[in-house]
Amino acid sequence: MTSPTALRSSPVPLRGRIGQLRDRASGRHSPLRRLDWPLQISVITLSMVGALLVWSATRQREIESGGDPQTFLKRHLLNLVIGLALAGVATIVDYRILRAYAPFVYLGSLFGLIAVLLMGATINGAHSWIVLPAGFQLQPSEFAKVALILGVAMILGEKHDDRDTGIRLNPSHQDVVLVLALAAVPMALIMMQPDFGTVMVFVFVILGMLAVSGAPSRWVIGLILCGILFGGAILQFHLLKPYQEARLTEFVRDNQNTSSTGYNVDQAMTAIANGGLIGRGLFNGMQTQGQFVPEQQTDFVFTVAGEELGFLGAGGVLVLLGVVLWRALSIAFDSGDAFGTMIATGVVCWFGFQMFVNIGMTLGVMPVTGLPLPFLSYGGSSMFANLLAVGLLQNVRLRARSDPYAL
Amino acid sequence: MRRPSLVEESLDDRTRVRLVVLRVLAVSLLVTLGARLWTLQILNGDHYRHLAETNRVREVVTPATRGLIVDDQGRALVRNRTSLVISVNRSVTDRQKDSGQAVLERLSSVIGMPVADIKGRIQFCSATAKPPCWNGSPYQPVPVAKDVSAQQALAVIEHPDRFPGVSADLQAVREYPYGSLAAHELGYLSPVTQKQLDSDGASKGYHQNSLVGVSGLEDTYDADLRGADGVQRLEVDRFGRVAGTASSTAPRSGDNLVLSLDLGIQQAVEQTLQKTLDSLGGGRARTASGVVLDARTGHVIAMASLPSYDPSVFVGGVSETDYKALSDPANGIPLLSRAYQGSGAPGSTFKPVSTLTALTNLGASTTDDYDCGPTLQVGGQTFHNFEGSSAGPITLHQALVISCDVIFDRFAYEAWLADGGLRNGRGPYQEPHEYFVKMARTMGFGSRTGVDLPGETAGSVVDRAGAKAIWTDLKDSYCRRAQNGYPEVTDPAKAERFRRYAAEACVDGYLYNGGAAVQFAIGQGQYLSASPLQLAVSYAAIANGGTLYQPTLAKAVMSPDGHVVRTVEPKVAGRIPATPETLAYIRDALHGVTSEGGGTATGVFADWPNDTIPVAGKTGTAEVEGTGDTSWFASFAPANDPQFVVVVTIPDSGTGAEYAAPAVKAIYQSIYGIGHPAALPGGRPPPELPRVERDGTFSTGAAPAPAPAPAPAPAPAASPSGVSFADRPTGAVATAAVPGTSGLGIVSAVAEPALVRGVPVRGALGRGAFIGEGDGSARGPPRPPEARGPC
Repeated sequence: MTSPTALRSSPVPLRGRIGQLRDRASGRHSPLRRLDWPLQISVITLSMVGALLVWSATRQREIESGGDPQTFLKRHLLNLVIGLALAGVATIVDYRILRAYAPFVYLGSLFGLIAVLLMGATINGAHSWIVLPAGFQLQPSEFAKVALILGVAMILGEKHDDRDTGIRLNPSHQDVVLVLALAAVPMALIMMQPDFGTVMVFVFVILGMLAVSGAPSRWVIGLILCGILFGGAILQFHLLKPYQEARLTEFVRDNQNTSSTGYNVDQAMTAIANGGLIGRGLFNGMQTQGQFVPEQQTDFVFTVAGEELGFLGAGGVLVLLGVVLWRALSIAFDSGDAFGTMIATGVVCWFGFQMFVNIGMTLGVMPVTGLPLPFLSYGGSSMFANLLAVGLLQNVRLRARSDPYAL
Repeated sequence: MRRPSLVEESLDDRTRVRLVVLRVLAVSLLVTLGARLWTLQILNGDHYRHLAETNRVREVVTPATRGLIVDDQGRALVRNRTSLVISVNRSVTDRQKDSGQAVLERLSSVIGMPVADIKGRIQFCSATAKPPCWNGSPYQPVPVAKDVSAQQALAVIEHPDRFPGVSADLQAVREYPYGSLAAHELGYLSPVTQKQLDSDGASKGYHQNSLVGVSGLEDTYDADLRGADGVQRLEVDRFGRVAGTASSTAPRSGDNLVLSLDLGIQQAVEQTLQKTLDSLGGGRARTASGVVLDARTGHVIAMASLPSYDPSVFVGGVSETDYKALSDPANGIPLLSRAYQGSGAPGSTFKPVSTLTALTNLGASTTDDYDCGPTLQVGGQTFHNFEGSSAGPITLHQALVISCDVIFDRFAYEAWLADGGLRNGRGPYQEPHEYFVKMARTMGFGSRTGVDLPGETAGSVVDRAGAKAIWTDLKDSYCRRAQNGYPEVTDPAKAERFRRYAAEACVDGYLYNGGAAVQFAIGQGQYLSASPLQLAVSYAAIANGGTLYQPTLAKAVMSPDGHVVRTVEPKVAGRIPATPETLAYIRDALHGVTSEGGGTATGVFADWPNDTIPVAGKTGTAEVEGTGDTSWFASFAPANDPQFVVVVTIPDSGTGAEYAAPAVKAIYQSIYGIGHPAALPGGRPPPELPRVERDGTFSTGAAPAPAPAPAPAPAPAASPSGVSFADRPTGAVATAAVPGTSGLGIVSAVAEPALVRGVPVRGALGRGAFIGEGDGSARGPPRPPEARGPC
């Protein structure tokens, strides 16, 4: 790698400097070349497809209300641009330096979660948004996902890197307990919003990271058993709010749903099935343009793909999402240290869980939870958080010990 | 295969294994989603596409204009009238800020209907919503006021800003220009029921709020008259807002139905029956019915039953009070047609059937004399001639003319004895012949004629086996009555008579005794009942040489542009098993009834132009327990070349000669134009279908028929309907012409257009023709019968 000091102290004129930058950018060892391009291209493609789907889902409504039909298209693209910039920052700063800031990031996210409880706005029954001026909204729980991954990776990755002793240690019981305690605070705050879906994301992220970190199997198995028992208990004793419980249980019953939740899923499945093999064409979906599917630009954005792009388009989206997960796992494999592996693992669990639950919900195989589909759903906070996570993945990728592309 | 790297080696095994598990998990979950996507989009796609369709598309139905029902000369008996209707479109008003409250209030002040009433009419029908409510599509404007004035309609139309969602437009509603005329035959419409929609809504093209013919011809020919509703399929969004039109089909008007029924004759029959009832006063005889058939084709030319009703009470939905009144026995059940839905003992009008039985099956001779004594002993019973009269030995011809009971009683008694009498089924008498019953059945009694009207009665013809079956059913109640009597009958003598009858029936009611057989032969008793239509069909068979027709009222179905869709020809239902000579003998005898000395109707027809239009007929007086006699007269004319069969029945009145025969005579006067303008010029039903003009209305004349109507047979030289009709054109110019009537000696199956358009020229020969005008008016109204013969 070229020394940064060499660049700084070079006396060559400006033109030469630009040439040097260009050489560096395109050179054999350029960070740009070392970026995970399949991952990056998939993410950008998904985001652009998402922009089209969000546009299609919202333009009819905007036309009817006299607004600009491209409002949501523009905002989605703006979110993408901002998100890519954030990702760039997250890529450039060495993640090993980030580790030092992890506690602050973590505490910052807790602050955000407390703030939302104090001054947040209620949208769709959840107290999850902080309304900013100029029509912007912030959803701290999205950023909390990144913060949690960083915090947990810090704890679980530390012991591995204890190279002074040369002893490779798996996380101890204390580590596991610390991780659980660390996760419990934001989860409790999010549960108070309430945002059950995000809590479940946390659960699976923690579980995945613990498992991959090499934590004792009894912890992993014990936690899974606890989850099952806990799930059984909340259903048995009706600890959830009725609508939350209905969402969880309704999809299991194979009957004509009459409640609003069932209606959503019916309309979503109808829209997707209506697409057939090649779809109705963008802006031509009867269900989509008729605005039959609620929350279509956010939680149910996949139905637009299903109806208007058909099996080929929606299947393509699945493939791209698969590429993202696959590459992220490869980054976990290839990471130079356990901290990087942990970060990548956390992101995979987060993305994977949200993808499966979100798409599964629109296909009627998962309960309705308000989880967005990464990169495709409209929403600034989730877009920023997702791209930050991608930035972290690239960060880990750049600092991997080996270059998978090297011959 | 990945090249192993240093890093992978640096990860510990547990982590690597778990990362691989995670990768497998991720891939399998995505594959699961893909498989589910495939199932949903490719395998089960059709189901959901249909769902999406119904989600997205709403139907708005424009009802088709229903076809007209016209008489044989093209005069509309049922047509459509336009009515100014004010409708409220709830998909518009519901979206107003106050859910349309202000608009409805304004509307209320314009049409003078309380807001609550308007709201009641536009509420959607549901388990809780009380009628009136709207059971149609929520996207369809709901009619709230019909027949509003032009001013009211304009008030709405000119201020769309004040009445958003309210519309005033012209809608077609059924109209009956002749009121109650032929109401039982024409029928009426009712809103489609949910059951009909569910069972055959799709196949018959019903929609919510469709009107469906539920009685009479409107029912039978519903599929022809209905047409096809126009359906506009609107694309709507989740909120029901209309986004566009998915598809649109224009309504197709229903076909018109041309009847053989003739307005003039129908009017004559109804007026005659009404006059007869009026003359009887209110106390007795509240019902009457009449049938006029074309003896040669089986077409129904008129059919009437009193009391009747105006079918327009059903337009826009009948009220419960009205419907109750129409089906109340105290009012004579106006909804019921006595002509084809009611039956009774036919009395002596049945004697031609008995005569046929005697001549065909019992070896009687046309020339032999049979003793018409005053009485006949059958078992313990004595059967009298009417009022005990006696005529000595006479032929069957004379027996019909004077309506001698005893001769037929004796034939029936002997046949019953030959069948084994009471011992039937035992000893040598295995299979009874039951000739009278069989002859009655072959002549159509006891089974439906198959007329193209719903709800026809079959009447009844009961044989020995049937009697026993009835007794088996009723035995218990007879025996109970024999024990307990009839406490609810106030008259003690009557109650005792009933009780004794029940006691007898309890013991041996299964026996078909001689009395029953004797009664049957003279058209009395409990084992025979016939509808006027059945009797008319059997007389038509006697008149036309033995062919029993399945009568029809419809003649053709014509498209709105005048094209003949199909013709309706009466089917031949059977033949009378009798020789032509036998039938001719009976026709001659029946002519004697109105023309010979002692004939039961000779008095009635004393002033009748017997030489030009001989009428053959038979009186009947059926005795009915508890009420007055039923007066019957069954007839055909001209007797020597029968064209028309006329049957009239007036229950609870008197003898056939007293009431029914004069009524029949009055009907013939109308048909042939004796003292009236002739209802059917030339004395023949029009052989061709009426023509449809370019504007869709009917003119009288030949339709450009692909299937030309059969050329009418040239009138025989002796036909009284011949020259005398045509030779008397009067100054009256009728609006209708009937080209090609045989009376004019012109036989033309297809009238030339020029000829038809020249209506005024030909019209002079048409309805204006009078016959016997001078004679009829000079003599004044027909005299009442001077002498009442036997029934």
